[in-house]
Amino acid sequence: MFLDLHCHSVSSDDSRATVEQYVKWVQVLRKRGYVVDGIVLTEHRKFDFDKDYSALADQYGVLILKGSELDTRYGHFLVYGVSEGLTRDIDFSDVRMDARELMRAARQHDAVAIPAHPGRFGIGLTEYIQQGESFPGVDVVELLNGGGRAGENERADELCQQFGYLGIGGSDAHLTSHIATCMTEFRAAIANESQLVDALLSKQFQPVRLEATAGVPSA
Amino acid sequence: MPYFEDIELGDQIGPVERIATDEGVARFCDVWSPPTPNRFTDAQTARESGMTGPIVPGIMAMAMMAQLLTDWAGPDAIRDLDVVFRQPIPHNRPLTLEATITDLRQENGQNLAECDILMLGAQGERHVGGKAVVSLPSRG
Amino acid sequence: MTMELSYDRTLHGKEHRAGPFEITADMIAAVNASLGEQGAAFSSDADAKEQGFRGMIAPPTLCSIFVREVQLPDVGLDFGRTQMHAGQRVQPIAPIYAGDRLTASSHLKDVYAKTGRSGTMVFVVWETTFRNQDGDVVAEVQESFARRE
Repeated sequence: MFLDLHCHSVSSDDSRATVEQYVKWVQVLRKRGYVVDGIVLTEHRKFDFDKDYSALADQYGVLILKGSELDTRYGHFLVYGVSEGLTRDIDFSDVRMDARELMRAARQHDAVAIPAHPGRFGIGLTEYIQQGESFPGVDVVELLNGGGRAGENERADELCQQFGYLGIGGSDAHLTSHIATCMTEFRAAIANESQLVDALLSKQFQPVRLEATAGVPSA
Repeated sequence: MPYFEDIELGDQIGPVERIATDEGVARFCDVWSPPTPNRFTDAQTARESGMTGPIVPGIMAMAMMAQLLTDWAGPDAIRDLDVVFRQPIPHNRPLTLEATITDLRQENGQNLAECDILMLGAQGERHVGGKAVVSLPSRG
Repeated sequence: MTMELSYDRTLHGKEHRAGPFEITADMIAAVNASLGEQGAAFSSDADAKEQGFRGMIAPPTLCSIFVREVQLPDVGLDFGRTQMHAGQRVQPIAPIYAGDRLTASSHLKDVYAKTGRSGTMVFVVWETTFRNQDGDVVAEVQESFARRE
């Protein structure tokens, strides 16, 4: 199945799209022949425990899961499988947290933390590795990011080749029509956040661009 | 002018190509009157702020994006224009303005079309991105 | 190592008023000239009346040029040197006519930190309400500024 693992709704400070607009736009993409099975909302520096999108998900036939994108002193990290326990151990609003600490805490709480847009100039993991930092906990990075500038996804690709990292894909949409431009194809069927974490740990996935889903039978 | 009933999700407004010239920015700044020297009209000040040259003021870029919508839907059609300035906008370079209809709804007796709206550079770089809501007439 | 933002928190809830700002036909014409705007309703009373307005109107984002006239107080932010305009929202509520005198009322909406390509940034967000001489709200404007390290 094809999931967009990185997008922001109006719950993030810099996004202008509502969740309903995203799932309506998924219908437009489906009409155009693309396959989009679900999206994971990764709001900046927070996790929306109080938001329930199940009615929207049912109405539009789109899986809607929740995660977070956290700022760290080593770039942004996508976190899947967020629990109250994790938010007790990690201050999600702390833009200078140590990403290695976040990755450790995430695993302790059955979540995973994955470097977002690692090739991004000025803030991607590549920059910090070049500065001599090492990240032994990393084995998956966001290889395809829909919000990048020219050359940034290529830098992520080089990083994956150099360190043998696996890659996920996400649109990093902040606007409605940018949803699902990049996604992750999973072998497993995923219906909730816990299954998403399991599927990421299984390493049975690959990043894809929206165009690559044209004509693919839907899951 | 477009009618609400004729619009579908995914419809495009534009693209329209525009250039903010040195003269255009200078004239805009004459009305806006930011403190001088500034990074909009003075190359040295722009360089000191880390720019390669003078840049287009955000509110001027926004006015250009508003034009895309008023040309399409009428002078008082805009209900909301909400943009994020992502990259500095250079003078004298082609800028592409475009919008995509993302939502259609009726609210308080108005027919509203919401769109994503972008200002892109010649290499597709996203200078400004945001959303807008315009009110459209109905055939009914 | 949580990042504590130091700024004047007493500004929350305080309104800062300014004006009146007169919207003149010359001002509208000058903005039109800078933008290549040729819309009839923005060009003359006669053209605007043909479109059903009672006179020439200002382009919808024009009022935002007055936000900086409000003399917003220094938020006392102990962070960064360079400030960039990060975002702007204009919600036009009623037409603004040539000859209108607008007053502005602004308040601090938010101050928060985030990181991006250019490092750590602190965002300061102001909201301004514009009213005309009759006291009618004509536009709401929100501006955010990013302070960089």
